[in-house]
Amino acid sequence: MRTFLSSLKTLISSTRLIALVLLLCAEHICSVPHLLAATYTPDNLPIPYLQDKTQYVSNPDDILSRTTVDSLNLWLGQMEASHGVQTVLAVVERIEGGEAYDFSMALGRKYGIGSKEQNTGLIIVLATEDRAYYILTGRGLEGTLPDAICKRIENRQMLPYLREGEWDEAMLNTVRAITQYVDGDDSLVGSSDFDDEDDVAALIAFVVCMLLGLGLIFFGIWYDNYKKSYCPSCHQHKMKKISGYTTKNRLLGIRSHHDTYRCTNCFFTKEVHWDENINSGSGGAAAGGALGGSFFGRGGGFGGGSFGGGSFGGGGAGGHF
Amino acid sequence: MKKSTIYLIIAAVVVIFGFYGCNQYNSMVSEDENVSRAWSDVETQYQRRADLIPNLVNTVKGYAAHESETLQAVVEARTKATQITIDPENLTPEKLAEYQAAQGEVSQALGRLLAITENYPDLKANEQFSELQAQLEGTENRIAESRRLFNEAAQKYNVTVRSFPNNIFANLFGFAVKGNFKADAGAEKAPTVEF
Repeated sequence: MRTFLSSLKTLISSTRLIALVLLLCAEHICSVPHLLAATYTPDNLPIPYLQDKTQYVSNPDDILSRTTVDSLNLWLGQMEASHGVQTVLAVVERIEGGEAYDFSMALGRKYGIGSKEQNTGLIIVLATEDRAYYILTGRGLEGTLPDAICKRIENRQMLPYLREGEWDEAMLNTVRAITQYVDGDDSLVGSSDFDDEDDVAALIAFVVCMLLGLGLIFFGIWYDNYKKSYCPSCHQHKMKKISGYTTKNRLLGIRSHHDTYRCTNCFFTKEVHWDENINSGSGGAAAGGALGGSFFGRGGGFGGGSFGGGSFGGGGAGGHF
Repeated sequence: MKKSTIYLIIAAVVVIFGFYGCNQYNSMVSEDENVSRAWSDVETQYQRRADLIPNLVNTVKGYAAHESETLQAVVEARTKATQITIDPENLTPEKLAEYQAAQGEVSQALGRLLAITENYPDLKANEQFSELQAQLEGTENRIAESRRLFNEAAQKYNVTVRSFPNNIFANLFGFAVKGNFKADAGAEKAPTVEF
């Protein structure tokens, strides 16, 4: 009776547990449409740059056209290469709280956009449904793009298009204007370490492939010798080469080896004949290494980017339209 | 137990305590240094705002000369606030409250000034004014951010200084509790506009 009771208790508690789990699941399922309602938080905004360092634009709602995104990525990539300005440009419908400044600051704090040395991070946020925009400059960019200049760019290049709903034009003109100001500042150093990193990766890949190839060759030689040392009489690897001579046939392009092996265990003697192609070289390892290296190197170009840990002091300008 | 053993134990305890004390002292010094740095950033940002005010007042004056009362209030609040500076060594809660109150006056006076500019469409359309306003907003953002960072540093320092057994060393070496910024009294309600 007691065991029955206790098992009943377990049953009840497990049913409760299942009910709780079901409830939680239901809640979770209910919250999914809420997430799909395109209200982005700094935490759930996709950052394509982390997967592919040529992608600076986060355009999850497909507000900008494909060609615009490509142009923006190209310009922002050049800006990072030449002046070390690392940008995140996000165009979405809605952001949490509806304030582009708070959203941008939270993004900057979360990812640390921009290099730690120069602090040249740049965040451009446009929320079309919230009708809010902001250009947030990293601490090291406040001299190049003072608040007044950010405002001027917004007033002249962004606002006229935003009012018409021409998002593509607004972003293209804004980024074009920003690049002009950044290009005019020679104190900003380009992040050529970007390319260096690629080179180092390619070099490492090359060396690794080279070593692997060499290792394979040595293993092949060793295995060849091991096979040759097999004694068919006593089944031990004790055969040793005691004499041998080679003949060359230039016409056929082969070198014939005539080797005599004797087993050190049972003194069984055997003769081995094998031909070697004179024309074949052993440059396979080097070729393999070079191929592998260039392959990995090229792969690195599309690798994920990383943010340098830059900080934002709250500079920049923005507003509502 | 021999007497010498007891002496040895006492000596060991004193040495360990001494090492621990040194260690804690050093960490308090570095945290104190962090607070000072965060404070100098706060003062820089407030100074930046103070530097913007004359320009802003002059621009508004050109369009709204007869709002002299509001303009005067901004200038006076600015003068009063810039007179109060705090040495980082002396960041007591009382001093900080005084500083915050004076700067709060400036914020409120500026809020009233910006509110009346709404009545002047020509001024609003002026690009120079728009950019000045953006600079002012950016500076307010910077102030908020530097205050946040200062509060973080001060809180970290205060926790170190006040927890046991650090409080013994802190008292010994004179590490006083630092003040931090409270939410502005005027920040919750928007400045009232009187017509």
